[in-house]
Amino acid sequence: MSAMKETLPESILECQDLVAGYELKAGFVRAVDGVSFALKRGEFLGIAGESGCGKTTLAYAVMRLFRDNAKIKSGKILFGGKDITHAPEEEIKKLRWEHISMVFQSAMNALNPVLQIGEQLTDGWLAHKRGEVREAKARALEVLKLVDIPEDRYNAYPHQLSGGMKQRVMIAMALMLQPEVIILDEPTTALDVVVQRTIIEKIQELRKTFRFSVIFITHDLSLLVEISDLLAIMYAGKIVEYGPASEVFYNPVHPYTRGLMASFPTLSGPIVRMGGIEGKPPDLIDPPSGCRFYPRCPDRHDGCDRDTPPLRQVRPGHFAACDGE
Amino acid sequence: MFKDIGKLFLGNKKALFGLLLLLFFALVGLLAPVIAPYDPKSNRVETITVLSEERDRSRTISREDLDPSTEKKVYSQSVTTTYERITKKLPLKGKPSSAHLLGTTHSGQDIFSQLIWGTRVSLTVGLVTGLFTTVLSLCLALIAGYFGGLVDDVISLFTNVFLVIPSLPLMIVIAAYVTVRGVIPIILILGLTSWPWPTRVLRSQVVSLKNRDFVRVSKSLGEKPSYVVFREILPNMISLVMASFFSSTMAAIIGEATLEFIGLGNVSVVSWGTMLYWAQANGALLAGFWWWFLPPGICIALIGTSFALMNFAIDEISNPKLRKR
Amino acid sequence: MKYFFRKIGLLLFALFVAMTLNFFIPRMMPGDPARELIDRMQGIPPEAMESIRIAFGLDTKDTLIVQYGKYLLNVLKGELGISLSRFPTPVRDVLKIAIPWTLGLMGFATILSFFIGTILGIGAAWSRNKRWATLTVGTFIFIRSFPYFWLGLLFIYFFGFRLQVFPIGNAYSFYVQKGGWDYFLSVLYHGFLPALTITVSSLGGWILTMRNNMINVLAEDYITVALAKGLPLRRIKNLYAAKNAMLPSITSFAMSLGFVVGGGLLTEMVFAYPGVGLMLWQAVQAKDYAMMQAIFLFISVAVLIANFLADLAILLLDPRVRDSGR
Repeated sequence: MSAMKETLPESILECQDLVAGYELKAGFVRAVDGVSFALKRGEFLGIAGESGCGKTTLAYAVMRLFRDNAKIKSGKILFGGKDITHAPEEEIKKLRWEHISMVFQSAMNALNPVLQIGEQLTDGWLAHKRGEVREAKARALEVLKLVDIPEDRYNAYPHQLSGGMKQRVMIAMALMLQPEVIILDEPTTALDVVVQRTIIEKIQELRKTFRFSVIFITHDLSLLVEISDLLAIMYAGKIVEYGPASEVFYNPVHPYTRGLMASFPTLSGPIVRMGGIEGKPPDLIDPPSGCRFYPRCPDRHDGCDRDTPPLRQVRPGHFAACDGE
Repeated sequence: MFKDIGKLFLGNKKALFGLLLLLFFALVGLLAPVIAPYDPKSNRVETITVLSEERDRSRTISREDLDPSTEKKVYSQSVTTTYERITKKLPLKGKPSSAHLLGTTHSGQDIFSQLIWGTRVSLTVGLVTGLFTTVLSLCLALIAGYFGGLVDDVISLFTNVFLVIPSLPLMIVIAAYVTVRGVIPIILILGLTSWPWPTRVLRSQVVSLKNRDFVRVSKSLGEKPSYVVFREILPNMISLVMASFFSSTMAAIIGEATLEFIGLGNVSVVSWGTMLYWAQANGALLAGFWWWFLPPGICIALIGTSFALMNFAIDEISNPKLRKR
Repeated sequence: MKYFFRKIGLLLFALFVAMTLNFFIPRMMPGDPARELIDRMQGIPPEAMESIRIAFGLDTKDTLIVQYGKYLLNVLKGELGISLSRFPTPVRDVLKIAIPWTLGLMGFATILSFFIGTILGIGAAWSRNKRWATLTVGTFIFIRSFPYFWLGLLFIYFFGFRLQVFPIGNAYSFYVQKGGWDYFLSVLYHGFLPALTITVSSLGGWILTMRNNMINVLAEDYITVALAKGLPLRRIKNLYAAKNAMLPSITSFAMSLGFVVGGGLLTEMVFAYPGVGLMLWQAVQAKDYAMMQAIFLFISVAVLIANFLADLAILLLDPRVRDSGR
């Protein structure tokens, strides 16, 4: 059983054995298969994993944004200690944006092309607070300043902004109501490294000032390592390693994590032969029994393909889903 | 790939229903000589009964000896046949009855038989025109889309211009000038006025495919244009071409009926359109002869619906967002 | 504003092509319509012969280019020839009377159809799984397959003949004096069925187009963002979804105007409504070529202008177009 099931008192957001995915004719795709984590106030949780491992589904699940055939099958989501897994739409609406907000992947399509960005910033505010448009506008200008976007952009349309600016507008939008938790889903993937750096630094700055918690989802582990407090590595719908960032980085236990760490080069040090991880992730409609990473694991042995190894504590606060060696 | 589309198509209820409807009409058209109770153009039924036949004796006309053992004789024989011919003139403007399911026209022709025989013309004209239009549009679209540049500019310009020039008045004007009346002129006129719309739609698909990576790869590998067009681009457009064909056919069927109705077709050919022409010309509407003008219209609508359904299904297949979950 | 000038250029070029077509069609036809016409009409007044000659360019003293030039000039002056079927009335005068009827009927019906269709389309996409949506869509797919004119016939039969609720033809009753309240009511009364025909037959197109556009838009990321923001559903439906889905709808509207006008013409023919459509029918029956050409020209001009107006509408509604000049 998961060793993290105890509800920590100061955790603002928690997931307990969450199973969520998509209902297809062929079966139910378990994109998120038994994920648990606990996020404290002001903490930075980085979630890393390759495409299709379920990270975005997890983000959508937490925000209860599922539509059509996407569903939460089982498990719990707790916000501020309260179970919101099956809370009615009315309640969730109040939570959304005011307490949890999200910065979406690819701001190219995340902004409404026919509305000015000022309006897109304020309508979120006005939907939650009984206030005047004046107040909303003032707040919008405030957050624009925070993300270094000039005031005159207030009346601009999305297509008039650059990619980096659009992403910063999304961040500003997420800050409008000063939520306790902000989820960022691949916020920098579509941007070049220089802009990436700017955005990451900006997020850090804002965090220091406003002390919100962050869940940062990406496939780029190198990014997370520097800025996260906690790191979770996801593979095939499950969290395979979890712990303080420096721990996971310097002492990776799970073969997948180790493979990932070996996949990106360091700036200094001797030139080494690059590793990689061969193979591809498993089918999530009918997942194999036992450890999901089995076919690609360089350290596999008998028994690995029979029982799915649970997350066990390998060091204080550091959990991995592997027997290890 | 054809198999995949075929399977999806047949699995879709709408498409199946549409296809069955179409096949029903095709069958009716094919079996017209067998199932129509009367000759659609004649207004009388003749029954001939032979009463008696008498042979006269044969008379030798000439005789020739070819060689000692062979004799050649030429005879003449006459037969007197007495027969009875009952000509039943069909009632004029008769109401539906057991003898005439849909009554008769102003000159005594059986409407039901006309309806059955008319299927042939209407369906054939529709399909042939649809095919003609689709092939023409596809060629233009491929040329314009693939080669781009000046060729594209010119073709697009003319497409856009002809698109906005209203086709019905154009058709009417052309048809009015053409002195040769018949089915072929109608096919040509319809085909030559309906090409802009499909051309435009297909061309934009060609252009968007041309810029996709797999086509670019093919081109940079040095493949010949004909290879790229026919083996890379075209197969990915199949569903669109099919949808285009269905639309064109439907438009052609309605167009043919319209032209005939106005009197610009060959009014002595039996088709649903000419039936409506004669019905209108003889004041069937004002006399309340619903059995004359209602059935052809309903048949046109049914065939139109069958194509529309199949079209709808293709839309759903090629655009997964439209599918029901 | 490159977009604006580009559209004007297209408009002018299209007009030019329409006029050119008008000029060349009679001269390119197989068979010999002129001869046939002249043969049929023995003993017609010389001016009529002249009109035919001009329409067919049998005055071959001038070269083709010169004829063309003269023709263009004539058209621009408004000289459209003499009507054969209503000899000696000039075509222009006949059209002057007919055009207002057509514009009124078609304009009203088309705009009505567009609005109702758009609203229904938005609803059908938003409430996609509800029964009324599926039923509406199915019904209109069926209705859309009817030939335009046949729908008119159907209405005449049911409402005019069977139920005797509405009149079966003409724009207004014979017994009414022009002008005044009675006249106005009579016009409305007579115009109801034709307008209904045009509206119903084009409704299907708008509904389906709008529905498809909405469905595509609803799958976009910014809709998810709007939901994540907890915005009221009505705002999402109208300002986020519909406003974006409208744009391609207006484009299709512009492009299909040609077909809608065609349908309107047929409706006029069926209802004996004294608009341009009926004139066209009569011209065809009487082989009044000058009239036919003039009507074709008028319709082309009208559709092109309407198209242009729709393009302008997009300019106003889509901020991306305003800036890019595409």
